Amino acid sequence: MKHGKYRFLAMAILPALALHVIFVLSPYAQAFYLSLTDWTGVAGQANFVGLDNFARLGEDPLFLSALGNNALMLIVVPLATIAIALFLASMLNLGGRRGRAEVQGVAGGKVYKIVYFFPQLLSVPIIAVLWQFVYSPNNGLLNGFLSAVGLDGLARTWLADGSVALWAVMAVMVWSAVGFYVVLFSAAMDSIPRELFEAARLDGAGRLATFRSITLPLVRDNVNAAFVYLGIAALDGFALVQILSVGPGGPDGATEVIGLGLYRNAFSFGQFGYASAMGVALFFLTLTLAVIAMRSGRRTKVEMA
Amino acid sequence: MNPTTRRSVLRGALAAAATPLLAGCVTAGGGDQGPALRGQVTKDNPLGVALDAPLEVVIFKGAYGDQYALDAERAYNQRHPQAKINHQAIQKVGEALQPRFVADTPPDVVDNTGAGALDLPTLVKANQVSDLSELLDSPSLHDPSVRVRDTLLPGVVDDGTFNGRPRALNLVYTAWGVWYSRTLFAERGWSYPKTWDEMLTLCGEIKKSGIAPWTHQGKYPDYVGDLLVSMAFKAGGNDLLVAVDNLEPNAWKHEAMINAATAFAELVGRGYVMPGSEGLSHTEAQAAWSQGKAAFLPSGSWLESEQKGVTPENFQMVMMPPPQLSTSDKMPAAAVRAGGAQSFIVPEKARNRQGGMDFLRTLFAVPQARRFAELASALPSVKGATEGLRLSSGVDSVRNAVNAAGDNAFRYRFRTWYGTLKKSWDDATGELFTGRLTPQQWADRVQRAADAVARDPNITKYRR
Amino acid sequence: MRRLGDGAIHLFMAAWAVMVAFPLVWAVLSSLKTDQQILTSPWSLPDRPHLENWARAWEQASIGKYFLNSLVVVGGALVLTMLLGSLVAYALARYSFPGNRFLYYLFVSGMLFPMFLALVPLFFVVKQLGLLGSYPGLILVYTAYALPFTVFFLTGFFRTLPNEVAESAALDGCSHSGIFFRVMLPMARPGLISVGIFNFLGLWNQYLLPLVLNPDPANYVLAQGLAALSVSQGYRGDFSGLFAGLTIAMLPVLVVYLVFQRRIRSGLTAGAVR
Repeated sequence: MKHGKYRFLAMAILPALALHVIFVLSPYAQAFYLSLTDWTGVAGQANFVGLDNFARLGEDPLFLSALGNNALMLIVVPLATIAIALFLASMLNLGGRRGRAEVQGVAGGKVYKIVYFFPQLLSVPIIAVLWQFVYSPNNGLLNGFLSAVGLDGLARTWLADGSVALWAVMAVMVWSAVGFYVVLFSAAMDSIPRELFEAARLDGAGRLATFRSITLPLVRDNVNAAFVYLGIAALDGFALVQILSVGPGGPDGATEVIGLGLYRNAFSFGQFGYASAMGVALFFLTLTLAVIAMRSGRRTKVEMA
Repeated sequence: MNPTTRRSVLRGALAAAATPLLAGCVTAGGGDQGPALRGQVTKDNPLGVALDAPLEVVIFKGAYGDQYALDAERAYNQRHPQAKINHQAIQKVGEALQPRFVADTPPDVVDNTGAGALDLPTLVKANQVSDLSELLDSPSLHDPSVRVRDTLLPGVVDDGTFNGRPRALNLVYTAWGVWYSRTLFAERGWSYPKTWDEMLTLCGEIKKSGIAPWTHQGKYPDYVGDLLVSMAFKAGGNDLLVAVDNLEPNAWKHEAMINAATAFAELVGRGYVMPGSEGLSHTEAQAAWSQGKAAFLPSGSWLESEQKGVTPENFQMVMMPPPQLSTSDKMPAAAVRAGGAQSFIVPEKARNRQGGMDFLRTLFAVPQARRFAELASALPSVKGATEGLRLSSGVDSVRNAVNAAGDNAFRYRFRTWYGTLKKSWDDATGELFTGRLTPQQWADRVQRAADAVARDPNITKYRR
Repeated sequence: MRRLGDGAIHLFMAAWAVMVAFPLVWAVLSSLKTDQQILTSPWSLPDRPHLENWARAWEQASIGKYFLNSLVVVGGALVLTMLLGSLVAYALARYSFPGNRFLYYLFVSGMLFPMFLALVPLFFVVKQLGLLGSYPGLILVYTAYALPFTVFFLTGFFRTLPNEVAESAALDGCSHSGIFFRVMLPMARPGLISVGIFNFLGLWNQYLLPLVLNPDPANYVLAQGLAALSVSQGYRGDFSGLFAGLTIAMLPVLVVYLVFQRRIRSGLTAGAVR
């Protein structure tokens, strides 16, 4: 059985490993090497420049503001998405009107579950184009809505105002992500035995207390995983910012993200080596985040000899 | 399977993985394409095209379509019937062609245009584009007594020249200025101002009539930025323009620059710019302008074809040069920024380089250029190509502006030469137009960026 | 007090639904309007359904043909990804052997690097293998780039499956691959479905890889056709055509979702990631 095991392991792992090494790791390894060169990206020659590119990162004001923006996104986007998704999911499952003790979801929950998932079906460029029309200053949906409900004072040029532009972009990220996590969390909540809730209700616990003492602990694993996914997404944000923001990355760097600077340096400034250095920096950032998150959420591993 | 076989399987897999890893390195150099093909130089074949060499043409298919290129390819085939032409019309020129440049297997001629175009200075720095002198000095196709160089409108060669060598040829002759609707202005009895003072007076009048005097494509601040520096260059003259392009110290702090920035800051300050313009994309701003919500709009000569679908009938759009800052400007009122756009390049490593150049010789001859003007309703860079053609209002006004400017057509290169400077200039201009930067702060910031470029040893410098 | 709370909850849930659905409905409506109407009165209903937009988008972006290309490439890659990904994930999750953790992180690290930095080197790798512009080439590359996430997701999933069934199968003399294919894979079906959905959406919208590796317009996949459409939109102000193209591309995915939504969501339930 021992040899059979290794033969099976080889058969199971090698084909995928070959694909991974050839098409993913080897190009990435080259990009790591290129981060140590002054490669322009359009010719076969490059000079080795050591760590110069990494030293330059610290003096690049756009890269530094990108770091700051990505850091803010890293905090806000996962927190807001998960908070909204948890709320909606628990209401879908348990928020319904109740008699003495029975627990049920709100009316129309099925429809909600379908509708909430919609944004997941759209690719980022489509989402960006749609929201451009939402944020449009003069006949955009958002300002139109605000003036319709008498809140003209709140209307502004969302994407061109440095104090709100990044928040406007983050709102789109949250908007597009919430639906997926609603479905994910409510799936997890479905598997919690009803009796637990009903017992809590009979004890006179309110919704908030029930949520804190029963729901949250039982979906903690899912919440941890959601933090990892959303964190990786928040560190990216490139496609959305590139299409949606003023400049792009503006006004005046307000929505600059690492991916955008990387793209600009690689393809507009002919500094592919420097751009690769940004990519390597981003890689280690994401890696750190992922390791921290996975460590904190790790479960015991089931293994079979 | 015993451990030995297992190890050899592993080794085999690793070897298979390593082969493309080593052979496929981007910096390993390519060059499997062989030497450039050449044929006999004759009177009919001055560039020495190898007659049976296939030709690969890559066209950016944007506002102007690609029919004009197909027509030019047919004309090329009539002269070289054995040549097999591979026509490709694409959008993201840069991403699609970048690896082929690195591999030294580029196409034979490329229309390097559009949002995803390859950065031309980078290509020049890496010596990836041919010196086009050979083409420019060859006899033109429609009149063999004139060299190609002399059939082009003023500034066209200059615009593609890097440190004395012509590297790109622009098919479209573009002028940049201020647009308005002739119909609207005739209705209201307004006329286009010659100086900025007149502009401010007229703007007051326009505002009273309930229309916003100006809007602009705030999402891309270079639309107004180009207008701003054009006005500064008209005031400060060619010396200032050269100083800016040559990254000279304090060029951006020149009085004319500050005055031009102040002029626009005043436009914003007096409420003469449609609210929200700073957040509009080009399509949105231009649509608002087409609907008569604003009177003036900055743009280049492509505006009319871009607006085809949304321009009301009898709108009659026209373009004028930016007004003078004052009557003491060094350049006359008619001076206008004009030069080439839609860059064609012949890659240095192209297999059929001569064919690529000869294709350009075909395309830039009067019959094909005229065909382009008809199909694309745009002004080609070839002298006399639009003679006798009935032009639409916008193209006609651009032609008139160019003719009126004559030798006073000017062009600056800093934005093409130095991508990082353009980015800082964009950001600062956006802030100037929202009032978050004063004219002085604007000048200081752009100057700092110019100084940084001048100091940076990684950036190749160009001079004029 | 409680009534008020209920009302607020309903309001919030309905508001979120409207916020999510509105842009989609709006995009579909806009595809039925003229460019003029989109720009002058973006929030009104079309005066009549301008189906010519759809015809134009269909023809210009050759949507029908690109759709088939996408189906072949994404379908092929999806099958291959699921097969290889589940094998690796199963091996990593349920066998201990030297290098297990290393391999896991090796695969997972593929999720952490911006893809466009790898594009140029990748082009050379694919070219060297003679796979440029071919369906097998695209399928293999799509698979390779979908594997890291698939392995990450399914490894977590296989770890949660109970041991007893596999153990009794092993006692009955079932081989390792027999246990995998006949016992574990069927048990993992819910997880496979959810990761399959992720991969389908991701690969269906994949744009960068075909852009560089699939240069021939005749072989374009749908994402490339749509990009061509949106570029020409930017130069000609053809908003209606763009929205028509988007709608055409979006509708099949939407229909698939509506038809399979129960199964998709139950897939997610089971796959609830750990």
